Amino acid sequence: MVKIIKLKKRIESFQLDIKGLFLQDKKVHGLIGNNGSGKSTLIKLITGLMRPDQGTIDLGGLRSKDITFTTQRPYMLHDTVYHNLIYPLMIRNQMPSKEETEKWLEQCGLTGKEQQFAPSLSSGERQKLSFARALIFKPKLVFIDETMANMDLESIGVFESIITNIQKEDPITWVIVSHQPAHIYNLCQEVHMMEAGSHLFSGTPKETGYFMRERHEKQWSY
Amino acid sequence: MLVLSNFHLNLSPETLETIWLTMKLGFVSTFLSSLFGIPLGLLLERRDFFGKRIILRVNRTLMGFPPVVVGLMVYLLLMRRGPFGELSLLFSFPAMVIAQLFIITPIVSGMVCTAAKNAAPEIRTFAISMNASRSQTFFLLIKEMKHDIYFALATSFGRSISEVGAVMIVGGNIQYKTRTMTTAISLMRNKGDYSEAITLGVVLLILSFCIQTLMDTLKRYENNGENY
Repeated sequence: MVKIIKLKKRIESFQLDIKGLFLQDKKVHGLIGNNGSGKSTLIKLITGLMRPDQGTIDLGGLRSKDITFTTQRPYMLHDTVYHNLIYPLMIRNQMPSKEETEKWLEQCGLTGKEQQFAPSLSSGERQKLSFARALIFKPKLVFIDETMANMDLESIGVFESIITNIQKEDPITWVIVSHQPAHIYNLCQEVHMMEAGSHLFSGTPKETGYFMRERHEKQWSY
Repeated sequence: MLVLSNFHLNLSPETLETIWLTMKLGFVSTFLSSLFGIPLGLLLERRDFFGKRIILRVNRTLMGFPPVVVGLMVYLLLMRRGPFGELSLLFSFPAMVIAQLFIITPIVSGMVCTAAKNAAPEIRTFAISMNASRSQTFFLLIKEMKHDIYFALATSFGRSISEVGAVMIVGGNIQYKTRTMTTAISLMRNKGDYSEAITLGVVLLILSFCIQTLMDTLKRYENNGENY
């Protein structure tokens, strides 16, 4: 289990302050909140892109090489689609098997584009390639930061089916960040809600739905 | 008009030697400056340290510093009574390389630093997401920024072969030893030997055109195929 305890980080006028947040292993977690609520900052702190001012992040025995993340605007190496896909394997001195690379290319609808210059792909194709590239080396904790925000329904379907298949075969821990809860409710087992730099609520998607409705009603009742 | 009517391409052994020396100076200076300039440019982009702003300002100043002043400074360092006089480097090929290093290295580091400011954060975030080691990240940066680096090196090479003031001062324009195309043109003009001066000028022009073509090709390659 990933334990985030008394975590603090100040970035100019923004203050992230999380008393306690726990991510259970092998579950799909949703991290929701409005823009500026601190979701991406939290991800950067967990993945080591930023250092916290205070607090601890216990990765529960996971090593940094077991963790990966995808971003809203994924970086494409100035190389072919195939070389982008196998990059994480190459830096681990692993030889990619033909079946595996073909499987990922097929799942992402990129079959036949292996030799295409990756930066020339459309934004949806880039997202799918970055997703496959993040998963090909079999990480144990994956953060998906707003990746689905600008995707078409077909691409979202591809994402959902890949996540569902992995969770059936060899489950890993996922944290899907979104400011649009509808995207992730049908995937997640647990949802964590953030507001103004703080962790507000954790629960099942159903409980989160009730919580949000209750809050909404309180806000608008006189 | 009289000069042009008498002009014919004069590729004498001396001219060929001058062209060869200029090319050698350009390649050696650019290679050595890349060894210092590329890591320095990446370091200036990556690290925050005390005095970084001053170093950046000095670097930018040196990028546009008059070469003749650099030549004078290197001359003062290498002259017989100077701090490095015992090395007897003045009026030699190494002296010209040293002077060019002071002129070219700031160009390489400045251009690499500017390019890295745009590209490196994204590449570094990607490398972290893939759990690349420090050395893997460094080589990835070099690989992904290779066209920017070629561009910086081509610019530096162009600057090197067209430089006249500094190499004249520290090299002394000695035939078969330190005479480059630019210093030879200057000398031929003084002697009134326009034919050889024009020959060297044409060769320089062709070289500059080739470098510009290379840079344009690199830029086009960099911009083509990207789907923004």
